Amino acid sequence: MSLASTASAKDQPSMLARLFARQELALLVCLVLVLAFFSATVENFFSVRNMTNVLGQASLALTAGVGCAIVFISGEVDISIGSLLATIALPLIIIMNDTNSLLLGVGGALLFGLIIGVVNGYLVAYAGINSLIVTLGTMFIMRGGVYLYTGQRAIPDAASLDSFIALSDGRLFNIIPYSAVIAIVLLAAFGYMMQHRPFGRQIYAVGGNQEVARLAGYDVRRVKFICFIISALLATVAGIILAARVGSAQHTAGLNFEFQVVAATVLGGVSLAGGIGSLTGMALGVLILQFLSNGLRGLGLPTEWQLVITGMIIIAAVAFDEAKRRRANGG
Amino acid sequence: MSELTHASAQKRLIGGQLLGSSQLVLGAILAVLCIAISIAAPQFYSEANIIAILRQCALVLIVASGMTMLIITAEVDLSVGASLAFVGCIGMAVLNSTHSLALGMLAALAFAGGVGLFNGLVVTRLRVNSLIATIGTMMMLQGGVYLFTREAVQNHNQLTSFTDLGAGYVGAVPVPVIIAALIFVVAYVTLRFTTLGRYLYAVGANERAVRLSGLRSERLKLLAFVGTGLCVGVAGMILSSLMNAGQPTAGRGFELTVIAAVILGGTSLLGGRGSLFGTLLGVLVLKVIDNGIIILGWNQDLQMVVPGIVIILATYLDIIRNNANVR
Repeated sequence: MSLASTASAKDQPSMLARLFARQELALLVCLVLVLAFFSATVENFFSVRNMTNVLGQASLALTAGVGCAIVFISGEVDISIGSLLATIALPLIIIMNDTNSLLLGVGGALLFGLIIGVVNGYLVAYAGINSLIVTLGTMFIMRGGVYLYTGQRAIPDAASLDSFIALSDGRLFNIIPYSAVIAIVLLAAFGYMMQHRPFGRQIYAVGGNQEVARLAGYDVRRVKFICFIISALLATVAGIILAARVGSAQHTAGLNFEFQVVAATVLGGVSLAGGIGSLTGMALGVLILQFLSNGLRGLGLPTEWQLVITGMIIIAAVAFDEAKRRRANGG
Repeated sequence: MSELTHASAQKRLIGGQLLGSSQLVLGAILAVLCIAISIAAPQFYSEANIIAILRQCALVLIVASGMTMLIITAEVDLSVGASLAFVGCIGMAVLNSTHSLALGMLAALAFAGGVGLFNGLVVTRLRVNSLIATIGTMMMLQGGVYLFTREAVQNHNQLTSFTDLGAGYVGAVPVPVIIAALIFVVAYVTLRFTTLGRYLYAVGANERAVRLSGLRSERLKLLAFVGTGLCVGVAGMILSSLMNAGQPTAGRGFELTVIAAVILGGTSLLGGRGSLFGTLLGVLVLKVIDNGIIILGWNQDLQMVVPGIVIILATYLDIIRNNANVR
């Protein structure tokens, strides 16, 4: 009896793992198809230079996507990340201009990000307000705050620190952009946390079934609170990379960014209902969309067509995934 | 003991009949806002300003009427802003080539209704989460409108009936306000007094139960999507009449204003709960704030900050009130 129960307990995670693996396999096949199609049709698409460039461009969505996916898995949403990108660029650039220190600037930005995460997390986890409402509200507040403070003008990076500029065009071993390295390291670290650390499993438990998680003795509120802080800090990192890339604090930075990230995350199989999906899936979702838009640009299609095709693919992918899941469930 | 709970339940019921749950809070907020602004700036209470506020409310209220029904069925439509811009361009283009207001309106309604139908079919047949499905449609429409026209479609028809749609008056009341009032009343009666309205609530509250009792829940949701689309069609034509052009960049962020007003009005994103009267109050609160900021001569960028605070605050007050009720 006890033998049988331990055996089934052992089977459970491996079955889950296999299910996730299959989901990610489908995404991988999609990515390979996208790569194959554009390699055949676009000159220089499958070159080291273009591949690493796309990776650098994807680093923003990858970094913020990790946070977005974690919040989704905990059963909530965070759509304030686009406005956050513009907000944290202000302390970053202003402090750097004043002190000529990258470290202080980044520190200031992270502190701002932390505060935003704490506010979002507190309002959702402890005040009990729907997370879509909270982050819709803070999205308005932050964007309006940035407009107010800057008078709708960009604040240029006057310090021009080499280390800061390196964030946008520096490359590790002259191959991989630093921004991509940062994104990959963060992805790996949080991926490890989600799959192999107790806290990661707690997030899945809370998102999967909040009541059961509570009865199992998890502090549901604390888990959600921390998820929002993680999301805000990761979006802050994305905001720093973006500020380095444009060389200024732009009041319009990150407009619609939240929609791109949400779309890529859902495309990657992370369910809005919570408890389902993985960071690997999210990363594949980001890469598929990024390579797609790069390839379409390579084909000479205007940005408008990219938007139209991306929109269609998101709907088709989620519909396909849903159909597969229903068939698997026998309904 | 049981009598006591019964009495308190009855008391709550009476209160609930007078004004729905969150509407008391919202009505109080609206009253405080109006009084505070009129003390600071007496011109707030002038007839011209009140009409100006109502005119600004009209566009949001038209789309919010449809959106309230949709959110009550536990779905949402983020594509209304992008659709609004596209509809304005198409409507204006048809008006320019046909010189017929009826045909222009028809084209706008057909297009916007078609967008709603598409959203509805994707959500109900393909079972795509409506948040994602309508983000997808939003992208397609944003790209599509630029493929349709790179610049604003100017008004070449000079139809007075079309100009009146946005700028005209009947007596002292602007035409858009009358249209908004008509749509609001139709939606209100439908939700409140018809079986269809009751079904919409039921679908949002418990879709499974509705299906098991023999209703086609997909049809009901589809209807709510198409209804929202048609509202966008009307609003898009009024907007292009007001701007005297179809602007492909119009409607940015409009979806968020509409959803904010609906949520502020106490309609639950989880479905099954909410009211159009609350939505009306929500629209009024947001637009009175907008107007107050202008009248008081404050920085207009506050028009984004203050609604953000109000949405969170109102929802929080509602939660506190509900908790007090349970106790």
